[in-house]
Amino acid sequence: MTRLPAAGVAVLLLVVDGVTTHDIVLIIAVIAFTAASLIALTSVPRLQLSPVAWLVESLSVLALVAASGDWRSPFYVLMLTALILPATGLPFRRALGCGAAFTLAYLGVAVYTELDANTLESTTRLETIATHLMVPLVVVLALAYAADVLERLRGERLRSERLAVESERQRIAWELHDSAKQRVHAAHLVLSALQGQITGPQATLVDHALAELRSASQAEITVSGTVGELPAHIAAHVYRIGAEALTNAVRHGEASRIDVVLSRNGSTATIEVRDDGRGLPPIRRPGSNGLRSMRARAETIGAALSIGPGGDGRGTTVQLTLTTDTGEPRPKS
Amino acid sequence: MIRILIVDDHPALRAGVTAVLRAEPDLVPLDTATSVNDLWPALHRTKPDVVVLDYHMPGDDGLVLCRRIKRELPTPAVLLYSAYADASLTIPALLAGVDGLVSKAAPANELYDAIRRVARGERVLPPISRELLDAAAIKLEPDELPILGMTLAHTPLTEIADALGLEPVEVSHRIDRMIKRLKIEIPVPRATG
Repeated sequence: MTRLPAAGVAVLLLVVDGVTTHDIVLIIAVIAFTAASLIALTSVPRLQLSPVAWLVESLSVLALVAASGDWRSPFYVLMLTALILPATGLPFRRALGCGAAFTLAYLGVAVYTELDANTLESTTRLETIATHLMVPLVVVLALAYAADVLERLRGERLRSERLAVESERQRIAWELHDSAKQRVHAAHLVLSALQGQITGPQATLVDHALAELRSASQAEITVSGTVGELPAHIAAHVYRIGAEALTNAVRHGEASRIDVVLSRNGSTATIEVRDDGRGLPPIRRPGSNGLRSMRARAETIGAALSIGPGGDGRGTTVQLTLTTDTGEPRPKS
Repeated sequence: MIRILIVDDHPALRAGVTAVLRAEPDLVPLDTATSVNDLWPALHRTKPDVVVLDYHMPGDDGLVLCRRIKRELPTPAVLLYSAYADASLTIPALLAGVDGLVSKAAPANELYDAIRRVARGERVLPPISRELLDAAAIKLEPDELPILGMTLAHTPLTEIADALGLEPVEVSHRIDRMIKRLKIEIPVPRATG
């Protein structure tokens, strides 16, 4: 947008001063260039970051300066505006390099137009050319510095937002964990009060329920690793399969220790639930659908599920391996 | 008859404890408090013999609450009832003036028994092992150790103050600081994903 007033300055100088004999052509060229570049840059925002576009623009304004026949050109301010995009879009050092290259190019134009012995002898003129050469560098330095600081601030804000999300997740995880734990304790307490007051077959029922609750609240569960990000519908099935494996370990295996190991290698994710419980029964319990539904879920998401005795022949190990086409897992945030 | 106030922020546990205590003829659950805010009105209204107090409450934890209860109203015995009660809670609990410590994983008859014993003026705390004492001593300043020793020997606050040549208020402040330093960190599950 700064190119609008810059073009205005150029046109005004051309009209008031009458730099060359073909002012009219130059005025038309400036207006056409400004309009064309503005339309191009706003309609295709990608161009604002394209080095080719920057080069085309710089060469165009340099050509305008050369065409005006004098390095103290009315197009000087317009030329400076061509530096804004590279200075803010490039990393700090490269932006400075860009500014230096531009200064050199301008020196070239100055030599081409009017830098003769006459100029070199006059101190005032020398000072003017030095100023003309330094301004692009100063502009680039200031803009690149500001862009750099802005970038860093943005990164900082992103990081603090991520931290806030992380701590909120921690809190929710804690609440979920704690409220489940408290419910298990409450159920255990009430059932334990019944123990000894009830006789007959119901007493066995209470005993069983108590044993299950005790192992649920006392089993040591460790979780290690991560599977990274999974598509939502796959993650839901994986969660259910894992939850069923844990339930089985506690309810039927009466495990005292359960290890959940998650890993991800490229697009392959592995979830392993190992327990030290009683292992799988030799024959399927009547009316048990747990394993069948785990297999059905694994099939739905195209994952391989293996359920068998643990590595040393004790307990049960459930292993789920799945391939996702999402490629590399996103870094855990 | 033992009159009991239950303080816990979990509805399931409040209901469970109330239900099992009602089944015992000599134990009378008077009321429940769900937060620190309704604890004080409930305490003054009911004047219980025993407060069954959750350790992990939003805001102040059970130890801090126990100190405040004992300061405001010396009569009720305080039974710390925690899902995270293990041996490492014993020393800070003792310093806080807790009369008994029961795990929420314990069966109902252990809870009844503990309530009856603290109501009789007994202390129901796990024995303090050499290791526990050493671990606590490392976290404390050298001049706090006599306070710890005397508290473990159930020396009254005024006598501790006399022995150390300090004002009771000063001793009390120091005990607050010691509790803060000895407090156990509840294991927080790591959020994954």
